[in-house]
Amino acid sequence: MPIWGRSILLDLENISAHYGDVQALENVSLRIKEGQIVSIVGSNGAGKSTTLNTISGVIQSSSGTIEFLGKRIENLPPHRIVELGIVQIPEARLLFPYMTVLENLELGAFNPQARKGTGENLEAVFRLFPVLEDRKNQLAGTLSGGEQQMLAIARGLMARPKLLMLDEPSLGLAPLLVKQVFETVKEINAQGITVLLVEQNVFHSLSIADEAYVLENGRVVLGGQGKEILSNPQVKEAYLGI
Amino acid sequence: MEMSSNSRKTSRNPFHPQVYVPLALVVFLFILPILPRNPFYEDLILMIFFWGTLAAAWNLVGGFAGQISLGHTAFFGIGAYTSTLLWLKFGLSPWFGMFAGAGLAILVAIGIGVPCFRLRSHFFALATIAFGEVLRHVASYWRGLTQGGVGLLIPFKPEIGNFMFRSKIPYAYIALGLMLLIILVSYIIRNSRFGFYLISLREDQDAAETLGVNTSRCKLVALIISVFFTAVAGTFYAQYLLFIDPDTVFSLPLSIELALLTIIGGLGTVIGPVIGAFILIPLDVLLRGYLGGISAGLNFIVYGIVLVVAVIYFPRGIAGWLRSWYEPFLRRLPGSGQSGGGEGAFTSPALTSEASDPKDANPGVDEGKSPLFRVQSLSKRFGGLAAVRDISFEIKKGEILGLIGPNGAGKTTIFNLITGFFPPDSGRIEFKGEEITGLRPPHKVCIKYIGRTFQLVKPFSNMTVMENVMVGAFSRVRRASEAKEEAMRVLDFIGLSMYRDSLASSLTIADRKRLELGKALATKPELLLLDEVVAGLNPRETEEIIEIIKAISRQGITLFIIEHVMKAIMTLSHRIIVLHHGEKIAEGIPAEISRDRKVIDAYLGEEYLA
Amino acid sequence: MSTAVLQLIINGLLLGGIYALISIGLTLIFGVVEIINFAHGEFLMLSMYASYWLFQLYGVDPYVSLFVVIPAFFAIGWAVQRIIIQPIIHAPPLNQIFATVGMSLVLQNAALFFWKADYRTVRTAYSTVSFSGLMISTPRLVAFVFALAIIAALLIFLKRTYTGKAIRALAQEKRAAMLMGIDIYRMYKIAFGIGIACVGAAGAILIPIYYAFPTVGAMFVLIAFVVVILGGYNSLVGALIGGLIIGMVEAFSGFFLSPHLKEAVYFVIFILILLLRPAGLFGRA
Repeated sequence: MPIWGRSILLDLENISAHYGDVQALENVSLRIKEGQIVSIVGSNGAGKSTTLNTISGVIQSSSGTIEFLGKRIENLPPHRIVELGIVQIPEARLLFPYMTVLENLELGAFNPQARKGTGENLEAVFRLFPVLEDRKNQLAGTLSGGEQQMLAIARGLMARPKLLMLDEPSLGLAPLLVKQVFETVKEINAQGITVLLVEQNVFHSLSIADEAYVLENGRVVLGGQGKEILSNPQVKEAYLGI
Repeated sequence: MEMSSNSRKTSRNPFHPQVYVPLALVVFLFILPILPRNPFYEDLILMIFFWGTLAAAWNLVGGFAGQISLGHTAFFGIGAYTSTLLWLKFGLSPWFGMFAGAGLAILVAIGIGVPCFRLRSHFFALATIAFGEVLRHVASYWRGLTQGGVGLLIPFKPEIGNFMFRSKIPYAYIALGLMLLIILVSYIIRNSRFGFYLISLREDQDAAETLGVNTSRCKLVALIISVFFTAVAGTFYAQYLLFIDPDTVFSLPLSIELALLTIIGGLGTVIGPVIGAFILIPLDVLLRGYLGGISAGLNFIVYGIVLVVAVIYFPRGIAGWLRSWYEPFLRRLPGSGQSGGGEGAFTSPALTSEASDPKDANPGVDEGKSPLFRVQSLSKRFGGLAAVRDISFEIKKGEILGLIGPNGAGKTTIFNLITGFFPPDSGRIEFKGEEITGLRPPHKVCIKYIGRTFQLVKPFSNMTVMENVMVGAFSRVRRASEAKEEAMRVLDFIGLSMYRDSLASSLTIADRKRLELGKALATKPELLLLDEVVAGLNPRETEEIIEIIKAISRQGITLFIIEHVMKAIMTLSHRIIVLHHGEKIAEGIPAEISRDRKVIDAYLGEEYLA
Repeated sequence: MSTAVLQLIINGLLLGGIYALISIGLTLIFGVVEIINFAHGEFLMLSMYASYWLFQLYGVDPYVSLFVVIPAFFAIGWAVQRIIIQPIIHAPPLNQIFATVGMSLVLQNAALFFWKADYRTVRTAYSTVSFSGLMISTPRLVAFVFALAIIAALLIFLKRTYTGKAIRALAQEKRAAMLMGIDIYRMYKIAFGIGIACVGAAGAILIPIYYAFPTVGAMFVLIAFVVVILGGYNSLVGALIGGLIIGMVEAFSGFFLSPHLKEAVYFVIFILILLLRPAGLFGRA
């Protein structure tokens, strides 16, 4: 599939950021084109989540620029960034545990644009995850791990994202469910949503990615097509030290 | 700046500014009450001493230990009422009644402190407010004993034995004596093991526990000392005014005022509360003079505004600002000599010399029959989730055992189960042949010679690097000088001695990781648990930390290491165990682990090699 | 059941409704903004004075004054959050505690300065009705009904509206709320505003049955603290039930022990909860 013809959706130029004490980004630059799946891989503490949180506006970058559809967004608060169509599905899901599945989904559609289409959005996510419809009146905290991850993704989709960012969606899931999650990501992408994926599961995330970046100590050390990177020995080294 | 030997020298030399300046201040305080003979002025000076005493007592709990009490008025009231009632009903001299009141207040404080110290900060403050208010109501309604809201009038019979004097001067000197005593007590505490413990638990309770600090006992002891002085001040107040009633001696604003003086003066410092009293009490008297005539309460409006503005904009108080001015001032005075600086900047880590040593310094792994540490069938569930499932392993003396696994595999949970942060549901933990399963809280585990570090480093931010390490050293020694020596040794070893007088909060990430190691090492562990010490460091910093860890191992300390950076754990570990979904999926030497199919699947996703 | 006991239960429930209304505001603020508003009682005091003066100066019936007091106190709460709480939202507990403690000191003494320590109340035409041997004071009954109606409205607001759901979401999982596009700082202001509006409403319905004086808030807030601890810190339903329980406790202890010992009884309950069930009756860990 030719990717050079597509327009750039998100453009990070030399972003540096400090996150609490430990994690930081140093001059991270990456580009996401419309319709792509882009993966960021790297070991713990490499700065993957920090990258997502900086894009989401949860962490203020200390230097560099972020452009989304040609508009500078690095100084916007998180809720404005969601309104523009950048939605993050956080690590560990962070559902609203004492609210029903339906309420969780409704809150996904909190921004005014998405709220207008709540009804049809709801239908769409129920088509993608039929099990959620069966459980719509159950408290989110009582769902199984796999169902919670589905709900987290569905909640993010309710915001009608142009760019969906997933932080470790396979974390803590059994192998069978891991496969399912990646199938879902592909399906979402096929519907025209651009995906930025942060994963520890290198194999799966690189094999579905159009492009990928390897992060080490807050810096991009490798970038290229997903399959290329998958066969690059440097990746294996970064993870297994061999 | 000064070393222990250095400070001992200066303390003997009366011509050193560090000695004669404080001495001059004390002499000045002694002549202060008799400068002009005028009752208004005498009353003002006396009130400064009195409030200084109370604020300094509050500071022990609110400042040093960081437990915000808004119920200190209760102890003040108990002191005042006890001595007064004993005097009125039984003719017991207030000099003795004072101690009876303090004793009763301490008993009540223990009864209140034990349940309330478990509360988080906001709720502790809330509970203490409620407690103070309740005592006020009880005192108001227990008319048979206290005459309720009418209050108690003490007939004026001036005599030393009755704790009553015609002139204000004796009162002023008693208040001064109390104030100097509490300053002295605060000073001794601040420079003792107990003081280090209080400040460390204020900065980070979990980290303090891990270094062997019995945090609940420390808080209680601080409360007891604080309550003693507060109750004694209550008796003083009753004897000076010769009238007490519930609405004054049990009033909530009194508690708030103590906090205000301390915050303005400098929370958690030895003389901050007294400085606060010297500034605010004259202001208060002026306000009362000018405004109080117009209407009651106006001075409290000013107080409240000052308090709100202070906590929003200047939470550090005056003492912190004063200190930066005081030390250079001392250095400019005659007799100061060269009391510090220069030396110590080039301390090379002991480690480099040791690292160049051949391997003979390494005692090596003890292949003997019984392991140093053994875990059998350890399990822990959180809610429905099995965080750790039926884990068994052993660590031999001198070994480095690595623990790896993907995010959320349960690694840190195992550390928390071992070090007493929560008890396992089932299973058994043995150390040196002794069962330590479920030993809690963490300071008990530290005392058994098991140390740990935290993944997110927990420096005591407002203590210096040296003081941070001293907290750990105090788990084995009592005296500050010994702890200092040990801390110096450790700082040399980890290569931080040049930063020993910097605040921990000013260190870089890499140096905070070293400090984290240093604090744990100072507790002289035989088994040390390291949780991701190199995460987030660049390759050069990682190399340096790895060298330190190797040097620790060469000293014969057994290591159990969680690490995500594979290079680090593969080079360091003798053996590795791999955790996935709370279960042990592999165990072996590094070469085996990196080839293990299950491990590669767990980390990189199945089919990676396919 | 004897009439006396029934009478006590009724007295307790009627009282408890108001306690619940005061406490629910405190709980909402704590649950969402994560600070304890130590000046909560002072806002009660202010609204009692507000209703008193509306009655004295303009002849506005206290129950009618609710329509002025509720929006006005919502605005005050909004402003307090914006001006005083916002700057210290990430500060250590000490700063947060003393910011609201200082505010309480200022408000209490401002009241003392402007209105003196006099006890003031509004005498309304409402009287006591007798009802098969049970005495029910009309203003107390009206207060109870209003209190429950306001609490019900609040619960429905939180349950049904988008803003209400966003506030609950924020209390449960702040980071996710932010990532779902909720402007959390706006929600803090709304939550603080609602909390103060609740206690404002409580003041208006209290003035026909109780006196306004500068320290009246301190007395009621002590009860609210116990209710919040009993109800479990962050549960609104817990605050409602806790309020009713404390009302009953007050009625019964007043009858069987002494009305003067009620504060002591609260405190015993307070300590018992801390010792036996630190998460409260309805709290979640």
